[in-house]
Amino acid sequence: MKEKLYKKEIRITLIFSVLLLLAGHSASIFVLFPSLQQGTLWGFPTQYIIPILLGWFGIAIICLVMTLVCNKFDDEMEEYVSTLSPENDTPNENTPK
Amino acid sequence: MPAEYALSNVWIGLGVVIVLFAIFYAVGYFSSRKTTSDEDFYAAGFSIGPVTNGLGMAATWASLATFLGVIALILRLQVPFVYLWIQWAISIPLLTLLYGTSLRRMKAFTPASFIRHRYGKPSTIVIVCWMILIMVMYALGQMVGLGQAFELLFGVPYNVAIIVAGLATVGFITIGGMYGATYNAAFQMVVMTIAMIVPMGAIMKAMGSSGWWFPPLAYGDMVPDMIKNIPTFFDMKYDFRWYFALIPAFTLGPVALPHLAMKVFTSSSVKSARWAVVWFAIFLGLLFSGTYVVGFAGNFFTATTGRIIEKADQTILILNVFYNPTLVAAFVMGGAIAAGLSTIGGNLMAIAGLVGSDLLGIIAPDMNSAKRMKWGYAALGLGGLAAVLMAFNPPRFLVTSILWAFGLLATTATPAILLGVWWKEANKLALIISSMVCGIIFIVISPHVLPSICIGSGLVAALGMSGGMVTIPLSFAMFIILSIVFNRMPALKAYAPTLADKKVIDRIHGWGTDYDESRYNGITWPLIISVICVAVFIWGLQPW
Repeated sequence: MKEKLYKKEIRITLIFSVLLLLAGHSASIFVLFPSLQQGTLWGFPTQYIIPILLGWFGIAIICLVMTLVCNKFDDEMEEYVSTLSPENDTPNENTPK
Repeated sequence: MPAEYALSNVWIGLGVVIVLFAIFYAVGYFSSRKTTSDEDFYAAGFSIGPVTNGLGMAATWASLATFLGVIALILRLQVPFVYLWIQWAISIPLLTLLYGTSLRRMKAFTPASFIRHRYGKPSTIVIVCWMILIMVMYALGQMVGLGQAFELLFGVPYNVAIIVAGLATVGFITIGGMYGATYNAAFQMVVMTIAMIVPMGAIMKAMGSSGWWFPPLAYGDMVPDMIKNIPTFFDMKYDFRWYFALIPAFTLGPVALPHLAMKVFTSSSVKSARWAVVWFAIFLGLLFSGTYVVGFAGNFFTATTGRIIEKADQTILILNVFYNPTLVAAFVMGGAIAAGLSTIGGNLMAIAGLVGSDLLGIIAPDMNSAKRMKWGYAALGLGGLAAVLMAFNPPRFLVTSILWAFGLLATTATPAILLGVWWKEANKLALIISSMVCGIIFIVISPHVLPSICIGSGLVAALGMSGGMVTIPLSFAMFIILSIVFNRMPALKAYAPTLADKKVIDRIHGWGTDYDESRYNGITWPLIISVICVAVFIWGLQPW
């Protein structure tokens, strides 16, 4: 169970990091593949408007999915932690003072 | 600047500013009544809900530069600078994903609180010093811009403007603590969004656009005229390395900005912090899209009217004075001031947290909560006064110093936080060496200190992009490799992570009492990351 949770945490973090980087740096894709720099959307060149849209709605959607997925993961983690027997170690809710 | 661009009625501008400051002081005063402990002072009692926090995050991130400096740089660099600005929006989501929720779980006040628990006191002093330096530079840039905005609005000498505006600002921020900073920032975000977007609708209508009803995205019908007058406007202009260099300097730098992280920490829960990020992305996207349309309209204005905008920093005011009534132009400047104030609020709160909580926590670890709160107030007020005093002799270019500082932060602090959260082998001595060596190299190879020793040239060097592409991967690689080596040297055992240090990592990831040595451990992936970093470092050393 805990191995599965650990792998899931790493997977979630990696996937959303990559998605956020792609959404925030989508202009790089148009530089890397200049053939994509053609056509228009709503009157704008695609290489201009698509990075703006991805930088706004794209990031917002990724954040929404990230929130749903990560909050669900937290529930699974809390469920797992609640099954553990208490040890000498105390939870860390008030450590940094 | 030609006289026709000045605000025609100073009293209207004064009225707008007085009303805004009255609201800020009222919010600060009512917030101060809620502040009874250091948790209230530094983290708003860990009680802020998602919408308010999303607005506050966006306001703290959107500085005066969003209204002034960035529009000037869009006029200068055109579309590539829009791309540079777009990627700022992933900073807080990445921060939250990579370490924000983990540190919120441990109820940290600043990222340095985590550094203290993970790496100990000497490492904390190093990271806090770097963070304070960067926060002072950041606050200074905002303070200078604020003084210039007051100078522009009221025609008073800069020194008078900086004293009046600076002291008035430091006053309401100091009164309110983090509650005040957060609630004021949320209100300021609403003001700045309206000030950026709504008047642009009237300007676009006057310019002949049918998309005036939604300025952020509906100015496509102006594009043919733009291309006719400025054929190169939409050109991407730079090679792939220029765009790639945005990642180390401008994505990884802001990830470690303490004033942004502190906003995440004020959330009422870990889950609430994530929801706040969704609102942040929506609000910030709206404001930033407004910035792009102002930059576009500034270029369009100069190209189609033949007029010259001599002071590009003032483009938004010039457009509003030219096309809109004085009251609207004054409100837009009010929005710009709100943008500056929200960021100064965040910067000063970060300085207060770093000094009053983190450094003082080292010097006097047993101090009680009430005393720590008082020291926090003192650090906040004194930090503000220092920024006001330094603003009398400001750096030359408002935006450059802030952007350059992001590269310095990515070099010195980002590896410490990210590797500290995700890698148990991260070594205390390796952190100190890599942070100090690479930070000093970043300063030396910039054009701001020793112009004869510089990686890159022109704007790419001034912004810290070329320097950052060398020192940021070097810092990550050096930290990883030195950690692996030092942890295996018996003579340096004192610097190796202890079991308690490692347990911190498991706990902040939510594992509670379940500790597993193999988790967040191992050297294969860190070594792979090091190899990638070395490749990027070599790429960064090639002639720019």
